[in-house]
Order: sequence, then C-alpha cells, then structure tokens
Amino acid sequence: MSQSIGQLIAGLHPLERKALSAFAQQASVWDHELLQRTGLDESRLAMALGWLLAKEVLAVEYQETKKFVAITEIGKKYASNGLPENRIIDLIKTQQDISISELRQRLNLEQLELSTAIGNLKDFSSVSIGKGGFLTLLFQGKSALHRIERLTNILRVLQSESPKNLDSFNDDERQFLTGDLDKNWKTRGVIKWIEKASKRFNLTPMGGDLVARLPEDAALDAIAQLTPEMLKDGSWKGKSFRKYHIDLKPPRVTAGAAHPYRQFLHEVQTKLVSMGFEEMRGPLVESEFWNMDALYMPQFHPARDIHDVYFAKDIAPSGDIAPSLLERVALTHERGGKSGSKGWRYAFDRARARQPILRSQGTAVSARTLARAPKVPGKYFSIARCFRYDQVDATHAPDFFQIEGIVLDRSTTFRTLLGLLKLFAVELAKAEEIKFLPAYFPFTEPSVELHVRHPRLGWMELGGAGLFRPEVTEPMGIDVPVIAWGLGLDRMAMVAMGLHDIRDLFAADLEFLRTLRPPSTLSSGVGGGGEAAD
Amino acid sequence: MPTITLRRTDLAKLAGRSVSALNDAALHELLALVKGELKATGAGTDELKIELNDSNRPDWWCAEGIARQFRLHRSPASVKPLAPKRRGRLPQINVERAVMPIRPYLGAFIARNVPIDAVLLEQIIQTQEKLADIFGQKRRTLSIGYYRLDPLKFPLTYTAVTPLGAVFVPLGMDHPLTLEAMLDEHPKGREYGHLLKGATLLPYLKDAAGQPLSFPPIVNSREVGEVRAGDRNLLVEATGTDLRLLVLLINLLAANLADRGATIEAVEVIYPTNTPLGRRVVMPRDDSTSMTLKRETLRTMLGEQLSDAETVQALRQAGHRVSRTGAGWKVTPPPYRGDLMHPVDLVEDVAMMRGYGRLAPELPASFTVGSVTARSRDEELTRGWMIGLGFQEVLTNVLGSRSDVLDTMGMDEPIVEVSNPLSLQFAALRPWLLPSLLRVEAASGHAFYPHRIFEVGEVATVVTAADGSKRSRTDLHLAALLASPTAAFSELHAALELFMLGAGLTYRLTPAAHPAFLEGRAGKITVGAIDVGWIGELHPAVLERWKITMPCVGWELDLSRLPQAAPAPPTLPG
Repeated sequence: MSQSIGQLIAGLHPLERKALSAFAQQASVWDHELLQRTGLDESRLAMALGWLLAKEVLAVEYQETKKFVAITEIGKKYASNGLPENRIIDLIKTQQDISISELRQRLNLEQLELSTAIGNLKDFSSVSIGKGGFLTLLFQGKSALHRIERLTNILRVLQSESPKNLDSFNDDERQFLTGDLDKNWKTRGVIKWIEKASKRFNLTPMGGDLVARLPEDAALDAIAQLTPEMLKDGSWKGKSFRKYHIDLKPPRVTAGAAHPYRQFLHEVQTKLVSMGFEEMRGPLVESEFWNMDALYMPQFHPARDIHDVYFAKDIAPSGDIAPSLLERVALTHERGGKSGSKGWRYAFDRARARQPILRSQGTAVSARTLARAPKVPGKYFSIARCFRYDQVDATHAPDFFQIEGIVLDRSTTFRTLLGLLKLFAVELAKAEEIKFLPAYFPFTEPSVELHVRHPRLGWMELGGAGLFRPEVTEPMGIDVPVIAWGLGLDRMAMVAMGLHDIRDLFAADLEFLRTLRPPSTLSSGVGGGGEAAD
Repeated sequence: MPTITLRRTDLAKLAGRSVSALNDAALHELLALVKGELKATGAGTDELKIELNDSNRPDWWCAEGIARQFRLHRSPASVKPLAPKRRGRLPQINVERAVMPIRPYLGAFIARNVPIDAVLLEQIIQTQEKLADIFGQKRRTLSIGYYRLDPLKFPLTYTAVTPLGAVFVPLGMDHPLTLEAMLDEHPKGREYGHLLKGATLLPYLKDAAGQPLSFPPIVNSREVGEVRAGDRNLLVEATGTDLRLLVLLINLLAANLADRGATIEAVEVIYPTNTPLGRRVVMPRDDSTSMTLKRETLRTMLGEQLSDAETVQALRQAGHRVSRTGAGWKVTPPPYRGDLMHPVDLVEDVAMMRGYGRLAPELPASFTVGSVTARSRDEELTRGWMIGLGFQEVLTNVLGSRSDVLDTMGMDEPIVEVSNPLSLQFAALRPWLLPSLLRVEAASGHAFYPHRIFEVGEVATVVTAADGSKRSRTDLHLAALLASPTAAFSELHAALELFMLGAGLTYRLTPAAHPAFLEGRAGKITVGAIDVGWIGELHPAVLERWKITMPCVGWELDLSRLPQAAPAPPTLPG
C-alpha cells in the first residue's frame, strides 16, 4: 500500500469511518459487536469491512464458526400476537371449563398449532383436559407462564436482530435456548439455528495509527455528495470533497446491446447497399413454384424430396402465381418452351407447383423479383431465413440466413461475374488470395464457387454464383444475362466470434450473449483480429 | 451429391498417369475438371474419398469417368460411340406385355474379358449403387443388375409374374424365397418394395432355360447374379421407367467397362408394343444429337474472344465431336451425356476445360442505386430504439414446436405446421415472438438480473379466408420482455410509451383477457382503429410451464400493422 495515512483518511468512505469508530476504545472487535455498535445493516457493514481489509487497515484476527439463532415467520407472528400457550391461559383465566373446539374458534388457531400448544401446557402441568374435552387451569398456569415469558422475550429481541449470535444472549437465556426450549418444547419452528462463520477483526499497526489520527481529521465534514442545493447556494465553496477509491470494482449494471450476429448481418446489408444493391424480401412459407420450379429445378430433383424440404400442413395452394407464367415454366421444364433448350423431358405437375413449403433457399426471393419486371441494370440482394430438412446439430440450425441476390445487366459476361465475386471477397472478407472453381447449381450455367484463403483455416468457400440458365430467365420475360450469387458468411462470422456450433448464433443463454463480441470480419479482414483462440 | 471411394493406384492406371503424378496437391487441382473435391485420403491405404458436385453428370461419379476426363484434358479426343460389331444374330431379350404397365423398359449389353479383381468388383458395386440411388431416384426410374454371362441361355425373357410365381435364392441369402417373401424378408425388398406397391404382378427376368436372373428392381439371383473376382464375361442389364435415361445409363456402363479393357457386345431388346425407339431396341446406342454453339454466344457469355482452334481444343477436351459451321461449331456430345440441354452448357464446358483461372475478372460497369426495403428500415429503427431503452437483443429460430408457441402459452389457434417434421421439436413456425423470449428467460435464470430483452423478427401468421382456406403471411414483430424480482407492468409500459413516442404513434391500451397474461394486468395495444399487439404481466401458470421462477412482463407488437407515423409533433410523457 503506497498511500500515506493522510491520503487514506481523506479517501475514507462514511461507512468505513462508522466501522472504524467501533475500534476507538478496543483494538479487536467481533463482527456481531460491530453490527451493534455501528448501527449499520449487515450488507453495508460487510462492504465497509471488505474495503478496510483491502486497504490493510483491518485484519481478521480470529475466525470461528458460531451458532446463531434466527427468528422464523411463525416466530415473528407469535412475537407480535403472543404465543398460543399464553393466549390459551389468558382465555381460560376469564372462562373456566372451555372446550377445545371453542378455544380454537375464539383464538383463530390452526388445528396443529392448537394441539401442539395444549400438548406443551399439559407437559408443563399447567392445564388438564377433563371429560368432554374441557380445559382446566392448574396452579394458575405458573410453570408455563414462566417459560412463556422467557421465550416471548427472546422472540422480541430476535425481531429486531436476527440471526443473533448465541454468545450475545445472557447465560440464563442461553441455557433456556439450548436446554429447556430444545428438550421440552414442541416449538413449531419459532426459531431456527444457523451456523455462521464469525470473525474478530483487529487494527493493523497502520490501522492503529490511522484510528489514532481520525478524531483530529478535519475531513469529517468533507462533502460526500454534491447536491443541487449546494450548487444553488454556493455552500460547496471552501469545502473539501471526500476522495473516492476509484479503482474499486463498481457494482454491475445491465445495458442494451445489439445481438452480435444480427449486427453482423446488418453490416453485410449496409455493405451490399453501398455497392449499389437493392434489398428484396419474400415470405417464409413459399410455394414449390418460386422455390424450385421457377428456378428450373425438375420436380424429380433429389433436393425436392420429402426428406429435403419441409411441407406446410393445411395451408391452401399458393395463389400468387400468374397462370400464364406457370404455363411457360411448365412448358420449359417439359420440352424447353421458347428458351432454346431441350427441357428436362418429363411431365410437369402444375398442381404440385402451388404446394406450400418452408422456403429452402434464398434464390426463391430472386425468382420472385425476376417475375416482377426488375430494373435493368439492376442489382438485388436478400438476407432470407431458410429451412432445410436436417438433424439439428453443430453444423445445422433449424433455420439459418442465406445472403443471395441477382445482377441484371446487358453487358454481363462470365468475366464480370468473376469480377463481382472478387469484389465481394475483398469488400466482405478482406481476402487477399482468391480462386474460382467450377460448381453446379441447377439454375445457373456456367456456375462457379468463390474460395478465399483464411489465415488460419486455409482455403474456404465464400460463395457461389453463375449466370441464370435461359430456362429460368426466358419464361420470366427477361432478355438480359442475369448473375445469380450467394454468399456463405456464417462460418467466417463464427470463427470471428470464437464459436464452433452454429446453434450458438441463436443461443438462448443471456449471460453468454452479453459476453459475445460481434465478428470483426468486415472491418479487419478474413477471420478478423479479435477472435478467440481455439 | 455422391461421395465415392477410389483407389489412387486404380485411378492412376485408368488415367494413364503415375501414382505420384496424382498426389494430393495435384488431385486438388485436377478434380476441378470434374467438379470434384478431395474429402479425405485413407491413412495407410491408397483410398481417396471424393465428392462430386454435379448432380447432372453421373458419368463423373466413378473412377473410370474421372480418369477419362483427366485423359481427355491432357490429350483432347472426341469420345466415339461404342459401335459393337454384329456377329450374326444379336443376343435377344423379349419383353412381355405383362411387365409393360409396371416397369416397362430394359436395356443390356455383354462385356467380355473383363479383368475382374477385388478392386474392380468394389468399384462396379459402388457405381451401381450410386447411379441407381441418385441418378435412378433410389431405383424408382433406374436400377442395374450384373450377371455371369456363361451360364445364361438366350433369349432372355423380361416378364411379370404373380408374387408366388417365381422362386430363387436371392443375393445375400442361402435359401429360396418367393418374390413375395423377398419383399417381406430381404433387406432390399424391405427398402425398395414400396416401388411396386399396388402391383398385382411383379417384374421377373429369366433365361431361355427358365433359369431366374433377377426380380427387378429389388434383387438378383445368387446363382447367376453374383459376380465374383475372377469372372471374365458379364451381362449388364438395367430396367426402368424412362427409356431415354436408360440408354444413357447403358452407354455409360458400357463405356466404363470398355475403359477397363473389356470387349462390348450389343444386346437387342424386343418389345411387344412400340416404344419411343421402336419395337426392337439395340443397346449400347448413340442417340446424341448435335447442338450448335454460336461464336457470338460464346464470346458474349465468356466476355472473351477465343480463337477457333482454342474453342475446338476445349470442346474436344470435354470429349465432344466438333465440326465448324458458318456461325460457330456443330457439337455432338459423348453418347453417355444427357446433361446438355442448351448451348450454354457448352459454354461452361469450354470455360471449365480452359480453366476458370484463365478468365480475367472484370468489374461490372453499370451504376445502380442501393437501398433497403421499408420493412428493413423499420427493423433497424426499432432495434436502435430498443437498444437505447436498455434492452439486450436476442436472435432465435423461427422453426420451433407447437408446444412452445401455443400450449405453454395456454393458447390454441391455427399456425403453420410442418407435415413431414423430422422431430416435433422443430415442426411449427412461430406465430409470435414472446415464447422465444420466454425460452431465453428459461435458459438464463443464472444470468445477472434484471433481464431486459427484445427481438425483432419474422413470424408466420395464418389468415383464414372467407371460404375457410388458410394462407400464411410473413409479418415483422417486435417483442420485449422484462424479468426481475420486482418486474411490474408499469416499468415495461414506460418503455412502450417511449418506443411509441419514437415511432411517432399515438396508442392506447384497452384491458382485455389473454391466456398468457394475468387478467387485469394485460391489454391490447391499439393504434387508431387497429389492434397492433399485447402487453401484460405473464401469468404464473405460463411461467410455471416454462419453469421460470422470476416475474415477467412482456409486450408484443406487429410492426407490419403499424400505420405510418402521424406528422404531429411528439409529446413527452409525464
């Protein structure tokens, strides 16, 4: 402790001063004595003692486990209303030969309370029960009254201080508590016993010096709290202010905060808007048409199986598909329609197209945009919740976000598509090394995957893209090349947040959420700077 | 997408390369030619696990196909159709009328001098399984059988019999079973029997001596339908429901065995009625039709002008037969390729064979204006206000259980449910957000209090039309929850008051009963004439069902129903 005693005194909190006042006459004091002498409540005293121990003004001289007596709820009731035994005696005094049931009615006692109290009075030979359940008082109830008075007094004391150290009772009371009450009374739980660590504190040599100088210290009238009144009347002038120990741990507060993954998605959104992309939205419950048929995924495609897509129960077939569009798409699937394609060459089921499912890919939203006369040139994106038929585990959440979009431009070529992907790699992942690999999507040709080099994880896929097949665009009346792209940023976001389980992105544990940091992917490159170690 | 297991030595032999030329690093590069990915290499063995990503290129899902592409890429050559020489009368298979309504088509070829060893056998079985499973839709449209040729007497007969009409020992068993018993007892019968559901007669293939070959598409006879290492001559057969795909499959299987050094001979199938390919169909056969790739299409799609020689070279690296025409090139694909539907497919072939890395990325030049939807803007403003009001944002799943979103809340109303759930835990779309927040509270009893949390997110609402039909609508909701030992209505009401002030809306609360809230401490939130949500102290019975032991107050607003803010100046509360 490098501070001088003067500095220490100047920085004493009023609670600390109160606590130290108990040491003025006596260098070593028990904690229960401190409670009594300072008049502080237990938590404030504990705070003050904690600080003084930390400053090495006080030390724990001796510590032992002590027995404490605590008053219970029922004990409190008897302390104010009187013990049932007492009330029974009082009543019998005024009305001899009272029956038990009348007693119960008059005193408003529970059956168990009453029978226990009568049992006690019988044991103390203060009442007898006659024929027909009538009670008679013996010897004026003296043997009981003497005990009742003792217990009532103790309960009253406990009412103002509980739990109370057994040592702080006088010998007589102590004997009563541990002897007579314990052995001979059925107490109904008016008190309970608690074992508590009890401590005796003493002043350290420095603490001794400090206490010795306390009375002469003028800082007693130092201002603890600056008030509006002081500022108005200027009474603060010429006064000193109590100094704080600003390095003490503050109390905890809660704060409002964004969800880190949600915030990450927002940043991606902002970034895409800054690159000229317009947002699209679509419904959670889609039709097979927008989710697959419009994207030229044949109805026999494995990804359309009952084990790959969730079907919505009892929802009416979709009504938002123009019949002429449905017909063009159907003909394109069957024989290529007017797209110049041979088509998939199977019988297209038009009713199935209207079947409602849970959206399984974000491209469904792009399909809707294509049918709604999009702008040319136009760039679109969506961040869409999607559902896949997978067992929920560390790599599969029940639903997840897909970041997808399209670009419509008459001058689009496969090379500008690669240029766009490279832009994404640099802007969204700060990637320095990228490569393009051939890929397959049922709705694009050519198709490509974008891979970036992650400093720790090595090469990883960042996204996929391709030029929409004419079988997709022609039925929609689109006559310019359309880039379809999708980004898989989840894995990078997770790495940046130090997560290994995708379910943690949707975690329900609030304490965990409060400590989770947003990924810094966008600001400091692939994997970010602030990531947790593995 | 299929993942297959190969032997590096086998692949190298087929590709005409040394094993070291196909080391891991080289394979990572080379596999781009087949849209493949090296997933794992067997420790201490020469096993390779490769995932093939193109669900439309079954010819790449085997060692022979991958090796063929590697070979072609090094030495471009058009893949010629197998033109088996007729040696007098072709072996024949008669298809009887009875099988036509059940599983009508059959194709076959003979392969002689196949050097079958353990490795080839393992590869044949793997190819058979992957093709029937993924290309053949789990045997529904296509299934494959291999037989020892020597014991067979031609012509064979493909017919249909009653379930008790044929008896043989199936593969993997040691006692004879009727076809009916195979459906019940054989693992493949149990797995694929549903494909024949409702059929009174079952497909059956036998030879001229009455010897059983198989019960397509379920299982072969163990007697002649179990190929073993050391066998040389095979009959390969496939049945199915789509004749065009069947031809592609037979061509592909024949090309694979030819690459292994076998001599391929054709088999003639004679149908009782006309098929799209006539009554007598000989396979393997080349049905490939040519497609014209225009010079202009290639240039505008790739964004690069390739020379004629470069283009022809790339197309031949993909195995195409190429000839020049006025506008471009006439391209005829190998006889096993069914994926070419449009000239754009040829553009990808060219780009892939040349390598995507050789195309220089170019930035799109057009100017466009970016924007977000009004809904996203609402979402962002809302998040900002709620965070400012001291609430921690949470993000939870949309797909959950009916029990969470309704039962625990004491409610019953139409919601969107899944008809084919994988588990009841994830079988319903949430119609509101408060249950999600209670789920967070239930999991956070140990977290420092007070808890002030919120979520802005999509929910699926069910709207019932006048005719009783139900439709789903996606709405944007906001829910807030306060949990603390002293949580009281007024505290959360105060936050709602400030939120509405921020949104520029005048609202009122009307006391109303809701099963999730305590009566007399809950009400509807109304803006203008529209009910936009609920606020209230959560009913202890609801908290008990969530196993929450902390008082909670919550509110939920349907942001999609909030009217546009009134232009009137805001009035601060109290």
